[in-house]
Amino acid sequence: MHGKYRSFHKLLLVFASALALSVSLAVSLPLTGQGQIPRAQHGAASMDYQIKELEKLMLKADVAEAPPGFDPVVWQAFVPEDNATTPERVALGKKLYFDERLSKDATVSCATCHDVTRAFTDQRKTSEGIAGQLGRRNAPTVMNAALLQTLFLDGRSPSLDHQARMPITNSVEMGFPDGESAARAIAGDTEYKKMFQAAYGRDVNYEDIGRAIGAFERTLVFVDSPFRRFLLGDGNAISADAKQGFRLFNEKARCVTCHPMNLSNPLGTDNRFHNIGVSARTQNFELLAKNALAALAQDPSAEKLEELAIGTDLSELGRFMVTRNRSDIGSFRTSMILNIGITQPYMHDGTLETLWDVMDHYNKGGEANPYLDGGMEALALTEQEIDQVVAFLFTLTDDRFRSENQRQMELQRAQAAQKRPFRDDDLAFRRKMAFEERIK
Amino acid sequence: MSQGTRLLSIWGTTFAVAALLSGTGSGGQEKKEEQERQEGQALADSILSQWKRKNPEKASDWVAEEKERHKIQPPADNSALLQSGEQGKGHVYGQYTERDLLMWSRETEKLVVEGSRIFHDADALRSTVAVSCDMCHPDGANTHPETYPKFQVQMGRVALLRDMINWCVEQPVRGTRFEPDDERMRALEAYIYAQRRGKSLEYGKH
Amino acid sequence: MRPKHKSVETRYMEERNEFFQALKSLDRRSFIKVSAAALGAAATRGIVPPTSFQPVRLSALQAGTGSDIYFAYISDSHLYEQDVNDRFVRSLLRAVDDVNQLDPQPDFVLYGGDLAQLGQAKELDLGAQILKGVKAPLRVMVGEHDWYLDLGEKWKSLFGQPTYSWDHKGVHFVTLMSVVEEDFWTVRGMSPMERMKTVAGLDNGVQRPFTVGAEQRQWLQNDLSRFGNDTPLVVFSHSPLYKLYKNWNFWTDDADEVQAILSRFKNVSVIHGHTHQMLTNRIGNIHFHGMLATAWPWPYAPEGMPPLTIQMSRPDPFNPQDGCGDGEVRVHPEGLVDKVYNFWNRNPVTVAREYTVSWGRESLPARPNRPSY
Repeated sequence: MHGKYRSFHKLLLVFASALALSVSLAVSLPLTGQGQIPRAQHGAASMDYQIKELEKLMLKADVAEAPPGFDPVVWQAFVPEDNATTPERVALGKKLYFDERLSKDATVSCATCHDVTRAFTDQRKTSEGIAGQLGRRNAPTVMNAALLQTLFLDGRSPSLDHQARMPITNSVEMGFPDGESAARAIAGDTEYKKMFQAAYGRDVNYEDIGRAIGAFERTLVFVDSPFRRFLLGDGNAISADAKQGFRLFNEKARCVTCHPMNLSNPLGTDNRFHNIGVSARTQNFELLAKNALAALAQDPSAEKLEELAIGTDLSELGRFMVTRNRSDIGSFRTSMILNIGITQPYMHDGTLETLWDVMDHYNKGGEANPYLDGGMEALALTEQEIDQVVAFLFTLTDDRFRSENQRQMELQRAQAAQKRPFRDDDLAFRRKMAFEERIK
Repeated sequence: MSQGTRLLSIWGTTFAVAALLSGTGSGGQEKKEEQERQEGQALADSILSQWKRKNPEKASDWVAEEKERHKIQPPADNSALLQSGEQGKGHVYGQYTERDLLMWSRETEKLVVEGSRIFHDADALRSTVAVSCDMCHPDGANTHPETYPKFQVQMGRVALLRDMINWCVEQPVRGTRFEPDDERMRALEAYIYAQRRGKSLEYGKH
Repeated sequence: MRPKHKSVETRYMEERNEFFQALKSLDRRSFIKVSAAALGAAATRGIVPPTSFQPVRLSALQAGTGSDIYFAYISDSHLYEQDVNDRFVRSLLRAVDDVNQLDPQPDFVLYGGDLAQLGQAKELDLGAQILKGVKAPLRVMVGEHDWYLDLGEKWKSLFGQPTYSWDHKGVHFVTLMSVVEEDFWTVRGMSPMERMKTVAGLDNGVQRPFTVGAEQRQWLQNDLSRFGNDTPLVVFSHSPLYKLYKNWNFWTDDADEVQAILSRFKNVSVIHGHTHQMLTNRIGNIHFHGMLATAWPWPYAPEGMPPLTIQMSRPDPFNPQDGCGDGEVRVHPEGLVDKVYNFWNRNPVTVAREYTVSWGRESLPARPNRPSY
C-alpha cells in the first residue's frame, strides 16, 4: 500500500479506538454517578437505565439451582411449591418489575422504590408513591429478600409472592383499587399474554403478577461481601478494626442476639419482631393502641387494617396491627444487615441516617417505653468500639457495590463527625437509668 | 487433711459417739439420744468453726463444707466393679480395689465440687454485676447439658455446653469469658453435667 | 424432597382471615363485648391469644361492678446499688412505670418482698426511693433478702412492722412475715453478711426452712378472731404458705398450722412472692397464687409441683427480662381472685377464679409453648 492510504488507515484506527474508549467510559459509569443518570418519576433512575445496570450485576447462574454458597436444602424451603423458578417466570417477573403501568397513574413501578441504582431501595427516609404521596415506612431492600421468612416490616406478608403484589393495590404506593384493575391495565399487551402463558399457562392475572415478580426477586442474591471471604478463610479480606468489630458484634455489643449470621441464614436477621424503641421517641403507644382498637371496632376488615397500617399513625404500632398481641406493640422485624452500608437511612421510619446513629441508639439501650424488648440494654461501648463495629458493618456489602459502599462510608463518616443526635453517654454508660425519667 | 483439722474431727466424732453410747437403751431412749447427738454435733460444729476462723489457711475440708451448703449429685456407684467375673483375677488392668474406687471418686468429686463453688460465687466468675449462676440455675437446674450440641440462634452457630457457659458468663453475669481449657471452665462443666445425672442425651433439643 | 410445612406467617394469615370472617358474622353488640373485653370475660369465653384483645394498659381487669377490689403488684426486685448492678434497678423502674400507666389506677400497689438483694441499707434506701414513684398507695411485704443482714432493723425503720392487717371494701387483708428462720448462724459463728449470703442462696442447704412462727400464728389467730367464716380473706406472704420444694425454700415449715387457722374461712386467697414464676395451687378453700419477679425468673422445682399449676413458658436467656414482669389482681366480693401475670415481651396470662374454683376444669390459662426442660 502506498503512504497516503496507510496514514488514512492509521487515522481511522486512532479515531476508532478513541470512539471505543469514550463509549466504554460512558457505559462503565459508576452505579450512582452524579448527574449522569437519566431519571424517571419520583426520583428513581429511568427504567431502561436500571435494566442496563441490572445486566451488569447479574450472575449468569442456573436459576433453578440455589445460588452458589447457599445451603441448597434451606434454599428449597424458601421456594414456594406453586412457583418453582424457571427462566420464563424470571423473564416475566423482570418485565413486570420495571413496568410503570402497574400503577394507577403509570408513574410508579417496583423499581421506583426498589431502584437498581440505589441498592434496590430508594435510599430515602420514607418512600414516595403515586401523586407524590409519602408513605410512613422506609423501603427495605429487595436484595436477598428471598430468604426472609415474612415480608413487610410488620411481617404481614407470608411470602415474597404475596408481598410483591401488595403495593400495587396500596393507595399511597401504586394506587390500583384492586387486583383486577391492575391485571386489566396490562392484559391488553400481547407480549404479556405470551409471557404469562409461557410462565404459568394462564392468562394475565393479579396473583401471577406477584408470583412472577417473586421469581425474579429470587435471582437478586448479593452475598459476596469481603466479610464472607473472611469467613471462608481469607484473613486479609477485612481490616483489623472490622475483625475487632465482628468480635464486639458477637460479644459486648450483643448484636448477634437478633442479627445472627451463618451459612444457613446469611442475612443477619432472626426474622422476629422486636420493639427497640425507635418510634417510642415520637409516639404515645398507649393512646395509639386504644385508638387502633376503637377504629377496628368500627370496621374490622382486613382491608381496613391495611389502610390503617400504612396510612395512619397506627402504622407505628408495627406488628401489633397484624397480630393484636400486646407483646407486639411497636415491634418491627429485625432488619437484615447484608449490604447495610448502602441501604441508608435506617430503621422502619428511616429516622436514623448513619450507622453511627444506629450504634448510638443501641448503645444507650434504645428508647424506654412500656413495650421495649428486654434484650435492649445499655452497652457502654466506647467511641473506638463503635467505630470498629461500624467498620465491620461496612464489610457486609457485596463486592459489586464496592464503590457505592465506599462513597456511603465517607458520606456517613463526615455526617457523623458533625452531629450525633441520638447519642446519650449517660444512658450508655449506665450513669442514668432508662425508665427513670418516665416515672419522675 | 491438716493435722489440726484431723484432730478436731476425731475429737468431735468421739464426743458425738460418746453421747450416742451413753444414751443407748430401749425405744424410749431414742429421742434423748437424738437430742444429745445433735447437741454434741452442734458443739463440735461451733468449736470447729471457731478454730477455722482463727486458722483459715488450715481449714482445708472445703469439699465437705461446699457439700453442706449445696446439694451435689454423687458420682456413679462403681462397686459392681469389685465383684469381678472370673477373668478379673488374671486381668492385670482389671483388678480394682476399694481404695482405687475411693481415690477416683474423691478426685472426680473435687472437680465437681470446685465447679459448684465457682457456680455459686459471683467473684469467682469475675462478675461485674454481682450475679452468680445459681441466681437463675439453683442446683444447676435448667442448664440442660444433655441438649448440646445444638444450633443456638442468638449465637448464630452450633453451640456446645462450654459455649453456652461462656455466653452466660459474658452476658447475664457480665464477667470475662474463660478460655476453653481454663480449670474453672472445666470445673463448671463438671458440675453442670453432674447435676443432670441420669438424664439421657438428646442433642439438638430446643 | 421439600418439607411440606406451613410457615408461621401462613398460619397467622389463616388465623387472621378466619378471625375477620368470624367478626363479620357477629352482631354489633356481641362484637363490642368481644372487642372491649375485660380479660376475665375473654378468658371465660375461652378466647385465647394470639388474637387476644387485651386493651393495652387499659387494665386487663376493667373496674368491675359492685365492690371489686383491684390492686397491682411488683415483687422480688433484688436490688444492688446502681453502680454494682444497673439491670435490676432498670427492671424495678420499668415495673413502677408499668403500674403508673394503668388506667384505671389500682386501689393500691403491693410490693411483694425481696426489695434488696443483700439487705444492705443502700439497697433498701434505693428501693424505697424508687417505690416513692408509685402513684397509687403502696403496701409492702418483707422478704428474706431484706431481713437477714440486720434482722430487719433497716426494713422496720423504712416500712414499719412487717406484720399487719387492714380492711378494704369488706375484704380483710393480712400481711405476714413468713420467712422466719431458726437460728443457724450463732452456732457457726457467722458474721451478719455471711448469714445474709447464706440465706440469699436459694439452694444453700445451711439455712433453715421458712416459717411463720408460733408468735405470728398467735397474732394471726387473734387478728382473725373477730371475723366470721364468711369474711373474704386475702393473705400476703413472701413464702408460699404451703410445702412445695424444701431445697429451695419454696416451703413454709408450719404451713399446716397456718392453713388450719385459715381453714374455717369460706374463701381465702394467698398471694405470695419468692418463687419468681407463675404458680397456682389450692388446698381446701385456700387458693394460692405466686407473683412474678422483676429481677429474674426461677426454674420450676424438680418435684412437689402443685397439679393446678400451668407453667409459664421457659424464659429465653437472651432477653434478660423474659419471664419477668409485674401484675394485677382483682378481688371479687366473696374473696376469690383473678390473677393477671403481666410478662414483659409476652402476652399477659390470667388465672381466673373459675380456674381454681373448678379445680382446674374451667377457664384454663394459656399453656406454655416452651416447656421446662
